[in-house]
Amino acid sequence: MVFLSFAVVLGCVCCSLLGGWCYFRRYTISRPPIGTFTRTDLAVMMVMITLVPFLYLWLPLWLAAPLFLLSILSILYTTWEPVVRARWAIWLVVLVMMALDVWAALFLRTHTGVFSAVNNVVLLMVSIGVANLWAQSGMKARDVAILSGFLAVYDLIATTYLPLTSNLLARLSDIPFTPLLSWGVGKSALGIGLGDMLFITVFPLIMYKAFSRRAGMIAGMLNLLAVAGMSFLPFTRLFPAMVVLGPLMVLQYLFWSRRRGRERTTWQYLQEEPAKHPAESVNVEMRCAGRPFQNGG
Amino acid sequence: MLEIALAQLRFATSLLLGTPFSLRSLEQIVSTLKETRQEFGPLASPKDDLSGGGPVLDEETRQAMQLRRFRSQARKAAQETGYYRDLFEHLDLDLRRLSFEAITRVPLLQKDALRANPDAFVCRTAQPFLRALTTGTTGKPTSIAFSSHEMRVYFALEAIGTLFSGDLEPDDIVQISTSSRGTLGNICAAGAYAHIGAMCYLAGVVEPAQALALLTERRHIAGKKSRTSILSTYPSYLGELVECGLRLGYQPTDFGLERIYVGGEVVTQGLKRRCQQLFGPVRCLDSGYGMTEIWPFGGRLCEAGHLHFEVSQGLLEVLHLETGLACQAGEIGTMVATPFPPYRETTLLLRYNTQDVVQVPAQPPTCSLRHLPATSPILGKRSLSLHHDHGWTFPRHIMEALEALEEVPLPARYSYRAVPGGVALDVVTRTKSSLVFHTIENSLHEHGVPVQQLRLMRDPQQLSHAYPLRCDLREHTFPASPADEIVMQEMDLSVSQVEKR
Repeated sequence: MVFLSFAVVLGCVCCSLLGGWCYFRRYTISRPPIGTFTRTDLAVMMVMITLVPFLYLWLPLWLAAPLFLLSILSILYTTWEPVVRARWAIWLVVLVMMALDVWAALFLRTHTGVFSAVNNVVLLMVSIGVANLWAQSGMKARDVAILSGFLAVYDLIATTYLPLTSNLLARLSDIPFTPLLSWGVGKSALGIGLGDMLFITVFPLIMYKAFSRRAGMIAGMLNLLAVAGMSFLPFTRLFPAMVVLGPLMVLQYLFWSRRRGRERTTWQYLQEEPAKHPAESVNVEMRCAGRPFQNGG
Repeated sequence: MLEIALAQLRFATSLLLGTPFSLRSLEQIVSTLKETRQEFGPLASPKDDLSGGGPVLDEETRQAMQLRRFRSQARKAAQETGYYRDLFEHLDLDLRRLSFEAITRVPLLQKDALRANPDAFVCRTAQPFLRALTTGTTGKPTSIAFSSHEMRVYFALEAIGTLFSGDLEPDDIVQISTSSRGTLGNICAAGAYAHIGAMCYLAGVVEPAQALALLTERRHIAGKKSRTSILSTYPSYLGELVECGLRLGYQPTDFGLERIYVGGEVVTQGLKRRCQQLFGPVRCLDSGYGMTEIWPFGGRLCEAGHLHFEVSQGLLEVLHLETGLACQAGEIGTMVATPFPPYRETTLLLRYNTQDVVQVPAQPPTCSLRHLPATSPILGKRSLSLHHDHGWTFPRHIMEALEALEEVPLPARYSYRAVPGGVALDVVTRTKSSLVFHTIENSLHEHGVPVQQLRLMRDPQQLSHAYPLRCDLREHTFPASPADEIVMQEMDLSVSQVEKR
């Protein structure tokens, strides 16, 4: 039974890594026409990562659950949008996925295998979508390295020294879209948090974009090995995965930035390694208007 | 992402409500556009048209919005400027309740009134920084005062438009060959280029040989192209450069030009075609319509050749040449413009008669900018247009007819007057022969000019009341060194040798 849990969780990690990679090479996620991921966004993200768990603990469940549901809805819609294209089809896929998760949580309870299976699929899509949203928004390897370094410290405090993570999981474990990819119950249960999964998926994509395909593949392999290694360790309580993954990501960033120098921009990446999907929209319309001349004479 | 979202929200608020622009937000948009372009490559044109500045509105909403802006600008003008305080004291107009139709009751502002007392149009509470003079091609220069805030807004807005158009890169080198006295346009261009990071230099309207020598010079600046890549000039001066360059034996390979922006005068198809003889297959782009007096309200050209005017920047009226009433579809009239806040806050002009003649499109436009009011390209100044037995003849018709022909040196120089049955025309040509005569006559007829008398001449000095050209706003220079003198002498020598041949 433990082996099955191990296989499922590791399988989910593999699916997220491969799915994220294929999506990254094949689909262009919608992003605002202006703006890239900046240091301000990074700072805001750190603040949100710190505050949101408290918010979910503080808010009544009847408010926290719909908020969580809305977030998942928007992420799923954004993720499926370039894949399915037709608006009605996107809504259909998203609503079916969400309805299944809600149905399984409400009618079969969240500790059942069916709910875990459905929820894992939904969370896999969320992980792939958010990872691509970040990677395709111009997030830099430097930013992920800083964020993962921050998260290593945060995770250590929130999971080991404070009951924050365990309280949060306990609170959200009975509602749909429980943010934990898991399998099994009791002693055979094994799981990985959605946040950890997100970093496992996004880091290889950004290393690929910033440095090279090889950097991306090595990052993916190391993430997989790290998760496998952690799964084998005999933990009896929650383990802060980012404590292992964070430093690993920082070290890889330092290695590749020393070796390759400056990071590639998305444009340089697409020029050097054209994606399988049409490259970023190069929609330079004929614009006759440069600067208007003064006509007044 | 978060900062740019807030900056765009602030920008949109100014556009929708007419409140002053936030420089910080505009500069944030510029820097984010640069970062976006660096990260993702060329920018996609936004659907809500941040580059053009305004939202897409239906006719009713457009009128309501423009009426609000007009009322607001008129009230401010009545409170803060001497000219409009006096004017509105004598007019029975309630500016708070002015209807869209009643806007026409506000008298047209003529150029002479502005020239006579430009200070009477400057707001009492404004802090003017630049007094921009026009070049005075059609008479005494007019002056308009702008605040430092307005100028910085223009720099940012122009940079935003340029970044979206993708026509300028940080590694570009721009030669501005316009009159140094055309302060406003030159400063705005330089300000926008500074935002983008491109290098520019003001060459002025110097001897064409000197301007060409500058264009061929090699540069050795890190991060910049090796030669001037963009030329910004008047069409008449471009014509002079083409003639001079071909005479001096320059080849397209002598230049590194990629784009030429021409504007400030009528730009003809003939000029666009003929400039490629010297510069090769460069993109010669008509810069649209702009005018110091109504800056930054101006027209931009669409792919169908219409001039489109952004509704949030100002109110455009086209008044019939003879009746003075609003033109109907297909009619020709002069443009009357009222620049709106927040684009204009220092010198306030209401219903300024630009004297520029345009035609209202006969059919509703179907181009990409069809949501914006449209006119034809400028046909010429009202004072330089001729009324005759067959109607009107405008400078554009004559220029298009003449500059299409190799027999006519660039820029086309001519004078014309009305005679019974049409127009009498004196044209400067390379040679005088019956073949050239008939070629020119045919071309004029093809362009709808009812020519009755045609005289060819080789010397421009022989023209009486020649059509004024900006290339004649010549700026003189001293030779900087003996070496330069030698270069100039060699040029003179080679010119005379070519001419002898």
